[in-house]
Amino acid sequence: MLRDVTRAAMIDGKAIAARLRAEAANDAARLAEEGWQPRLVSVSVGDTAAADLYVRNQQKSAESAGVAFEARSYPHETSPYQLIGILQGLNADPRVHGIIIQRPLPAHIPVKALQKAVHPLKDVEGMHPASIGNIVYNDLALGPCTAVAAVEIMKTLPLKIEGLDVTIIGHSEIVGKPIAFLLMGLGATVTVCHHMTRSVAVHSRAADAVFVAVGKPGLVTGEMIKPGAALIDIGINRVDGKTVGDADFDSCARVAGWITPVPGGVGPVTVAVLMQNAVLATRMQKEHYQQSFASTNNG
Amino acid sequence: MTASIIDGKAFAASVREDVAARVGQLKKSTGITPGLAVVLVGEDPASQVYVRSKGKQTVEVGMNSYEHKLGADISEADLLALIESLNDDPAVHGILVQLPLPKHLNEDLVINAINPAKDVDGFHLSNVGLLGTGQDSMVPCTPLGCLMMLRDHHGSLSGMEAVVIGRSNIVGKPMAQLLLGDSCTVTIAHSRTKNLADVVRRADIVVAAVGRPEMIKGDWIKPGATVIDVGINRIAAPEKGEGKTRLVGDVDFASAAKVAGAITPVPGGVGPMTIACLLSNTLTACCRANPETSAA
Repeated sequence: MLRDVTRAAMIDGKAIAARLRAEAANDAARLAEEGWQPRLVSVSVGDTAAADLYVRNQQKSAESAGVAFEARSYPHETSPYQLIGILQGLNADPRVHGIIIQRPLPAHIPVKALQKAVHPLKDVEGMHPASIGNIVYNDLALGPCTAVAAVEIMKTLPLKIEGLDVTIIGHSEIVGKPIAFLLMGLGATVTVCHHMTRSVAVHSRAADAVFVAVGKPGLVTGEMIKPGAALIDIGINRVDGKTVGDADFDSCARVAGWITPVPGGVGPVTVAVLMQNAVLATRMQKEHYQQSFASTNNG
Repeated sequence: MTASIIDGKAFAASVREDVAARVGQLKKSTGITPGLAVVLVGEDPASQVYVRSKGKQTVEVGMNSYEHKLGADISEADLLALIESLNDDPAVHGILVQLPLPKHLNEDLVINAINPAKDVDGFHLSNVGLLGTGQDSMVPCTPLGCLMMLRDHHGSLSGMEAVVIGRSNIVGKPMAQLLLGDSCTVTIAHSRTKNLADVVRRADIVVAAVGRPEMIKGDWIKPGATVIDVGINRIAAPEKGEGKTRLVGDVDFASAAKVAGAITPVPGGVGPMTIACLLSNTLTACCRANPETSAA
């Protein structure tokens, strides 16, 4: 049932994030009691000013979720080989359960090579090909945080995802496509639009829920939305010193049934999902360790 | 309007010819012969037919074929040990484990034991993720065959509306990825989709992979659309005599052919492309394993 209103209900990303963090804190405390204190290591390279805000946010979120957090910075001239060596060290370090590679990276560092170098069990950002493969195969392990956050928000709405018509605008590898596969796994009929799509409006207007993740302010306007539909805005753009999403908020809020604000929508949930992934990764490593130990004992 | 028929047999033959020519060149210039190892566990008659046909076509394009036939009672550890030895064998560039496996073997575990670079079926998790993130991967043969037919028929697919019916791991999902990669606007429809006929009617390209005989009717098809029918279903054919059967696709061919611009028949459409793509993947794997052959 879509919502029949004159103004969209605002989706409170901060409240959803707080709930997810509280769940993560519970799990983290239990793991810590069992001797497995979840720990994240953040790796920044070069001029970190652009990423500093993210790192601080993650650190704060980690503190409230009971996850240990260590920020490491390396100089600009660090070579890709050195970085891969550093990641291998973190992979091997049993006290580290999750590795975050802060972007942007200097131009000489191939980001995909670094993401592949993170052990899949420590891939809390969900960027390793094996993590993406799991998402495609509908085996929800460690998913890309932004995509999982958008889907978590969708789950809080009183809409039945099975059979729901969903349009996703933007087909990036870490947001648009994983959202498509996550929602498809939950039974939605998903259409993925992008810059080559002839008419995005035809698809967005037919959808019960629209996800937009392109990075173009004002891309989605009210007349592109079916009255009462949900609009999840994943874009983060700076316009005239203000942070705005990809949707023209005012016109969309007059038509949609639910809408995420920017800031305060998907963003905070993304950081909370990172903490959930940290806890999940720790649990997976604990189980992996116990299985290996048990089989060594038996064999 | 009557649809043109996309002749999968003829197109597959041209793909095989192309592979054979490149294999010949590769042998001449480097002395390397691509090799495909096929592992068959048990006595499933359909699987035996596939494996025989794969082996024959592998040899026909000038590659080495290594068949490993194992008893249905082989242990998981022994099968994994065989895969490990094939992973380490430099003469083997492609490894295919014929599915389904007997119930006591964990298919996911076995498939993911294959070195992703030799996983010519494209089922390894890493290949799924590499495809999902637009990196060099091994692409599953059936959707790759469909994509090659679509490209051959249309040239560029950019901006076309595509509907994939079916969300299986081996066809529907990789097909959607490939069509997105070619800049189609893609909708993935499935058993939970409301108003399936309306969704299909929007499409310039329809790929049907649900496994339900003749489910998609002619009046679901937009006039002039291209219809790729991946389904292979055996149904009773009393008109051929008692107990006789025939193969049909997921599309009601007779009614769809009156509306579509182009359509693949069943049999003789997508089917023959699958092995041709397997051979093409094996050659690709061989070239990637031997970077000095990148010209081939």
